[in-house]
Amino acid sequence: MKKKLISVLLCAAMVGTMLAGCGNKESSDGGSSEGGESSGKVALDVIISQYGNYTQDWWTEFEKTFEEANKDIDLNIEIVSWNDIYSVVNTRISSNEQPDILNISGFADYVADDLLMAAEDYVSPELKDNFVPSFWESNDMDGTVWALPILASCRSLFCNVDLLKEAGIENPPATWDEVLTACKAVQDKFGKDIVPWGLDISTDEGQAAFSYYTWNFGGGYTDDNGDWALNSKENVEAVEYIKKLIDSGYCNSAPFTDTRYPLQDAFSAGTLAMMIGPMNMVAADSKVNYVAADLPGEKTALGVCDQLMVFKDEEAGDERTAAITKFFDAFYECETYSNYMVYEGFLPATQDASDNLAANAEKYTVGGSDATGDSEYFKTFCAVLPNCKFYPMQKAEWMDVRNGVIDVEQQVCNGTLGAQEALDKLQESVAK
Amino acid sequence: MSAKRKSWQTILLYVFVVILCVLILYPYLVMFITALKDKKEMYAIDHILPEVWRWSNFSDIWTAAPVFKYLANSMIIAGGATLLAILCGIPAAYALARMRFKGKGIFMGAVIMSQMFSPVVLLVGIYRMMVNIDLNDTILGLILLNAAFNQAFAIWLLRGTFMGISPEMEQAAKIDGCGTVRALIKVLLPMAAPGIITTLIFVFINAWNEYTIALTLISTDVFKPITVGINVFYGFNFIQWQYLFATSLFATIPVVVLFLAIEKHLVAGLTSGGVKG
Amino acid sequence: MKKKTLTAFQPYVWLLPSVVLMVSMILIPIISVFKISFSDVGRSGLVKGLNGVQNYLEVFEEPVFWHTLQNTIIWTVVVVGVSTVFGFVLAMVLNQEFRGRKFVRAVVIFPWATALIIQSVIWKYIINADYGSLNVLLKKIGLIDGFVNWTQTAGSMFAWECWVGIFVTFPFVTFCVLSGLQSIDGSLYESASVDGASFWQKLFKITLPLVAPSLTVSTVLNIIYVFNSFPIVWTISKGAPADQTHTLVTYLYKLSFTDGKGGHAAAVSVIGFVILAFCASIYMILSLRGEEES
Repeated sequence: MKKKLISVLLCAAMVGTMLAGCGNKESSDGGSSEGGESSGKVALDVIISQYGNYTQDWWTEFEKTFEEANKDIDLNIEIVSWNDIYSVVNTRISSNEQPDILNISGFADYVADDLLMAAEDYVSPELKDNFVPSFWESNDMDGTVWALPILASCRSLFCNVDLLKEAGIENPPATWDEVLTACKAVQDKFGKDIVPWGLDISTDEGQAAFSYYTWNFGGGYTDDNGDWALNSKENVEAVEYIKKLIDSGYCNSAPFTDTRYPLQDAFSAGTLAMMIGPMNMVAADSKVNYVAADLPGEKTALGVCDQLMVFKDEEAGDERTAAITKFFDAFYECETYSNYMVYEGFLPATQDASDNLAANAEKYTVGGSDATGDSEYFKTFCAVLPNCKFYPMQKAEWMDVRNGVIDVEQQVCNGTLGAQEALDKLQESVAK
Repeated sequence: MSAKRKSWQTILLYVFVVILCVLILYPYLVMFITALKDKKEMYAIDHILPEVWRWSNFSDIWTAAPVFKYLANSMIIAGGATLLAILCGIPAAYALARMRFKGKGIFMGAVIMSQMFSPVVLLVGIYRMMVNIDLNDTILGLILLNAAFNQAFAIWLLRGTFMGISPEMEQAAKIDGCGTVRALIKVLLPMAAPGIITTLIFVFINAWNEYTIALTLISTDVFKPITVGINVFYGFNFIQWQYLFATSLFATIPVVVLFLAIEKHLVAGLTSGGVKG
Repeated sequence: MKKKTLTAFQPYVWLLPSVVLMVSMILIPIISVFKISFSDVGRSGLVKGLNGVQNYLEVFEEPVFWHTLQNTIIWTVVVVGVSTVFGFVLAMVLNQEFRGRKFVRAVVIFPWATALIIQSVIWKYIINADYGSLNVLLKKIGLIDGFVNWTQTAGSMFAWECWVGIFVTFPFVTFCVLSGLQSIDGSLYESASVDGASFWQKLFKITLPLVAPSLTVSTVLNIIYVFNSFPIVWTISKGAPADQTHTLVTYLYKLSFTDGKGGHAAAVSVIGFVILAFCASIYMILSLRGEEES
């Protein structure tokens, strides 16, 4: 009996290994990008961030079309989720296996370690002129542009109109005091059934919250000279305000660990009354009656603009650079790029696509559904974009500041430190 | 000996056991119910059961993502790693159980030491090495790694099993003209079956459930095991809990079934491994 | 008949496959981690050359590191301790004959057989205060009026993480002990009963000494696994709030991949290794001595 069982298990395991052998053969075919160069093909490893559930499909299609048009280029596109992308890229770089083209948020660290090519070296002049100037310049660090804007989004205050009305609030709050009043009204009306205010100060994106509040209290990351000014009076006030929101019981219960995503889902489901989020956050099939209003206070919206960047490869010749130029020309080509923007629900960073989408967004469909784009939407938000503020990503200390402000928020709201004290400490460590 | 148990003891026993089962099964029940909900109901807080039972979630996942491929990959990785770990582990354990040689103590120490580093800690080192031998982003690479990280347990358990079996039978077989290898295969291995099965299962589970190495090492979608593959339901803008949990159930079932099938041997195997471990 | 030299080499030949596998897959990465811990690593992950013990000194200066070390010890002791005691008691229960025993044993397998990452995600979903199913359930059956915030403080968050840790760890102990219990000769208990031994006497004089080897195996393995456990803490809290709930492994992951401090992360892993190696060598010395005696 036992013998029989063992032999069955061993057989199963052997079949498994044989299958593994097949799997591996497949892999050596797929992974032949390195060896491909000998056959005259230029191989490009591209890492793209996963923006939605159907990102993979779009890029698979793009890869096919591109390779058909450019027989001498072998694209190897890999979609990585935001959850993992930093660890994946970091590990690759430590192993000297950096990709050729990377889509991520933030580039200063790579510039600091001298890993990137200057954008001028691979972007065709036509494409360069086509970028919205403020986006092109946003990737300027010490006089050189290091990355291309892939897409943009901006953040607004989302309010569930029906819930607010029922609680006796007619208009979206325009000041921070009105926010408190509105939260109180919602809380009094619905008790624990509805969360009045969505807050995310998790390590995932806590710097976004820091931006919303400090900017709209009149503070921010830097002073007029562009130097770090993290412990300003306004910032202290803003952080204390966040604590007040939590302590009054207006927020979701776990702001330290809740990322934006469950909050957005809750808003779409109608159990969260207000939150600040990206313009495409409400689910397409949501029945919630909502408005996207200006942020309270100074009305400064946060613009988020992710980048595409190119890593240096000392050994590669001009063919590589030429292939990269072709890749970007193909991606940013008006039709293709407009299609991708509607597909993922983001805002374009090029001028022709902005114009195109403001008029013809209905031509394109949203990823994974039959819904089409909405020209009105692009018209509105593309107009808002120039007034958005962006993270100071071009400053070398940005990543330390990003992590630092999240720490500050958590320490203050947790009651470990006072706002002034925590911000002073951060300022001191960054200015050092 | 349990026949004369007092009745209140029986009641206490059942109360304990029932609470335990409810507690253990609760997360799985939540998983199951959530997997059957419509996405819109995910944050509804006024009812426990779904208003609409979306059985289609269980069929949707297969098209929403290459879930079948992920499961097959997991099967190959776990199966391959198990086989390799056992094939390398049996001779090593045999030598440690039956032979005298210099450096035995050091080797045993080294085997345990090799377990001191969690794969997470070694990620960067592992990734670099796999790149050097050109096995990053391959299923073979994951098989080798999982086999290696389970070597210590395999050797330890198998050695205990072998030591628990009297060497007389093998000696008798050798006198009958069998070589060491034949004596091992013909005599010792069948007797050590419970221990071997336990080891098989243990390695299989560990490899099936491994997450961090696969996450970093595998970049091509079609090579991902299920633990990494389910990440597709964690989108940029939303988490599809219903799909996530439906897939999780499919990822759990094979292991549980496997466990149940050999539960009896498992307990016996741990004994032989434990007694002399 | 083989020559004597060949026989002397034989054991090493038997060990060879295993050694090759472990050296290539584990030792080489370990060496590179040691090397990185003495290197200057750029934010991007680029290794820029050796810098002595700088990384270690900087790690020791961080208050978070010391707090994390304390957490790690609590985490390991609590999870392994409670799992061992509870797993042992459960094994005693399951060793009795009762109706439904098979079913219960099957149920106990579940937490062991489920991937840690899946367990962590489901528990995070269960204890969420705003929509989590635990609150919904408790409210429905009337135990609570309003939703309870289960993870209000760092302490309560960490306690939940320990709970999940225990939940996934105790089945292994149960099955190890169960295997030990089944090898005990029933007549030992009978003769003890005849001699008038109490339940506790039997427990301490017969049961415990005989299952001690199984308990040792499960405890040692669990200490290593729990100490190095990553998905639970990472999924549930990522160390939040303010790095108060890290263990060494999640802390070094954050150092490496969020904070861009690869050198510090490598130093923390070496420190963790030293701690575990120290504990393991104590165990090795004790068990090897025991083996020589027997």
